[in-house]
Amino acid sequence: MFDWSQEIVLGASILSWFIIGAGLAQTAVYLLQLIIAAYALSKRPPVARSALLWHRYGDVAPPIALLVPAYNEEVNVVESVHSMLALEYPNFEVIVVNDGSKDQTLQRLIEGFKLVKFHRPYEEALTHKPIRGLYSSPITERLFVVDKENGGKADAQNAGVNVCRAPLFCVIDGDSILEPDALMRAAQPFIDDPERTIAVGGTIRIANGSRIEGGRVREVRLPHRLLPLLQVVEYLRAFLMARLAWSRINTLMLVSGAFGLFRRAEVVAVGGFTSGSMGEDLDLVIKLHRHMMDSKRRYSIQFIPEPVCWTEAPESLRVLARQRTRWQRGSLECFFRYRSMLFNPRYGRVGFLGFGHILIVDVLGPISEVLGYVLIPAFWLLGILSTEYLLAFTSLVFTYGVCVSVCSLVLEEAELKRFPRARDLAVLTAVAVIENFGYRQLNNFWRVKGWWQFLRADQSWGEMTRTGLTGPKK
Amino acid sequence: MLYIWYLSILLSVLSLAIMLLLIVRRVLHERWGTAGADQRRLLLTALIAFTENRDREALKAALLAVPARVAIDAGFEFISLLRGEEHDELLSAFNECGLPALVGIQLEKGNGAERIHAAEMLAALRSENAVEGLLSALDRDRSREVRIAVAIALCDVDALPPLVITLRKIGAAGQRSRRLIELFRRFPPKRFDELEDYAGRQDAVPFVRAAAIDALARGGSFQFGEFFACAAGDPSAEVAAAALRALGLTGHANAPAILVKAMENEGWDVRASAADAAGRLGLSELAAPLAQLMGDEAWTVRYAAANALRSFGQPGEQVLRGIAASEVSRRQRTASLILAEGPAA
Repeated sequence: MFDWSQEIVLGASILSWFIIGAGLAQTAVYLLQLIIAAYALSKRPPVARSALLWHRYGDVAPPIALLVPAYNEEVNVVESVHSMLALEYPNFEVIVVNDGSKDQTLQRLIEGFKLVKFHRPYEEALTHKPIRGLYSSPITERLFVVDKENGGKADAQNAGVNVCRAPLFCVIDGDSILEPDALMRAAQPFIDDPERTIAVGGTIRIANGSRIEGGRVREVRLPHRLLPLLQVVEYLRAFLMARLAWSRINTLMLVSGAFGLFRRAEVVAVGGFTSGSMGEDLDLVIKLHRHMMDSKRRYSIQFIPEPVCWTEAPESLRVLARQRTRWQRGSLECFFRYRSMLFNPRYGRVGFLGFGHILIVDVLGPISEVLGYVLIPAFWLLGILSTEYLLAFTSLVFTYGVCVSVCSLVLEEAELKRFPRARDLAVLTAVAVIENFGYRQLNNFWRVKGWWQFLRADQSWGEMTRTGLTGPKK
Repeated sequence: MLYIWYLSILLSVLSLAIMLLLIVRRVLHERWGTAGADQRRLLLTALIAFTENRDREALKAALLAVPARVAIDAGFEFISLLRGEEHDELLSAFNECGLPALVGIQLEKGNGAERIHAAEMLAALRSENAVEGLLSALDRDRSREVRIAVAIALCDVDALPPLVITLRKIGAAGQRSRRLIELFRRFPPKRFDELEDYAGRQDAVPFVRAAAIDALARGGSFQFGEFFACAAGDPSAEVAAAALRALGLTGHANAPAILVKAMENEGWDVRASAADAAGRLGLSELAAPLAQLMGDEAWTVRYAAANALRSFGQPGEQVLRGIAASEVSRRQRTASLILAEGPAA
């Protein structure tokens, strides 16, 4: 009679090797990112005072259009726009795109800024849903409002790109808050190397818990609740480690849609944002890489940590789950849409490192890790796997995670020092440890759910319920 | 397999230990930080008092009573607010306290951001010994951003080496920076001929040549009109466009012919600059070629041509109305859009 036990042990061993191998690859990528990020930060120490930046770059700073898609933002839109108009930058305009809001967003803007209908010729370079009207304000010549039919965020951004006249545009979410000097800092690569720089991303930080007045973050504080606190560490890791590292080797695959600066001509050349995409920001950056490499032009897409955009993090598990499954679907959608770039020598480092990273971390990572949560302990309990395997897996999903999260915090404190109090650092260190015991696993579960939704071609965006940075809102 | 486990424990403990040290460092800094803020406040009070009583000795005592870094930082910001006699006297006090020497050390040994700031401070302090340090930094500094900042500082203290040498020292990679525009704009008029020579060099980087032309147009007089007229036919679109923009500011007897020729250039930015210059100079005799240009494939060119026509006043608007009333075409659409621009009726 055939002995199945040996086959089962062999199968379990292969599966365990796959799970541990994927974990090792993921951990190796993170450790590599940490080293590169530390090197990048040491080579590029931040300029402390924004007054110095103005003194230095004020006369040569290129014009920028700030594009703000707004959908049902009636509660905060006027205050947000006021804070954007007060940014410290010599030459910019704010273009708010009302994306067919069902509430009083447009009416609030009309009342708040005494808007009047305005005819402004613009290049119809990108396609989008019809524009119903353009508005300007007699109070400030920096503000324009585009009222258009609903078409989603990417569609609204495309309308904004068409209407803007500046050579650079900055995308920002309507409910986010830019630091006053964020534009000046983000524009720096465009000043230092205007020919090659085509996109720059800045840091997104979580504003929950901070004191916000008049559309400004007046006092930086940590969130009071655990869920946003966990996301503070998560964002630190994503921005200060991953993006900074890939930026250093010009393989940055994502400039966040919540705050990114782009050269208009190149964005128009790639057809703008892909309407209906779950990850329109990732999609655009991949298109830019492909376009520049296909046309054999030298270029750079950078992340710089100093410019800060504050955003509100989800405070409930339900909303966070929706956000994370959507992000996962966005990654998968882009990965499979541009899969021909994966390991394609024509796309060099982007094909190997950038897409390789997406494959390991976003495509295989969640599946292998969730499989590991179930199978590795089960195999060990059944006596199929030795304790060594169990410890190896435990180290990959728990202890290396602690090291990576704490090291991101070390980088932040060693070079940027943006958390105002020693107590904050102590709290975040504790959070960096505990996030690996529960939160990380939950996140991976949501990402597997995102995989499932992707396979079922579920395109629902999900509602992002917010409590509001300056007041209650939905 | 076990080594994966042991290594993870080691790395985690190590990272936590480093973080703990950083937290302790932060606690100490928080204590010292309060003292630093107090010192800065005291110094600013002394600086304000100086502007009222001009007591240089009292100011020097206050400067020497605080750490050099506090004195340099607060002093630099304060100096930039002053002009005239007060400014000069304050500089003397800073120099007598030996602060420029400390800034010089920062220029040598600081990190990139600190070295750039040091170059700016040395230019502001106008110390006699600053030039030597700045020239040395222009020669040796490993960062191109610092070398550009140093060149700007040297220009401010009137000690910039010849432009060709300066640009060579800045290096090829630095010759793409918009900071060069800043450098050229600070050029003293007596050295404009260097900019002119460089802008005319066919072997130079087009971006730098265009920046030099822009600086000449902004700061120079009509004396460079002939040079701009020649450069408008340059094979580099970037240089030609800059020369056309410059012509639009200074004018030239032969400008209409030059602009008409440029409107047929292959580069869209050259055609757009030509249209823009025609509008600036009010050359209404160029209405016909501008009207043609409104059918251009590039929106920027169409818009510049239509704007130029509009800037001619009544005659230009008549041309636009005529085109707007004609058969549907790209020109007709552009004319309609431009005529409608502004608050809706």
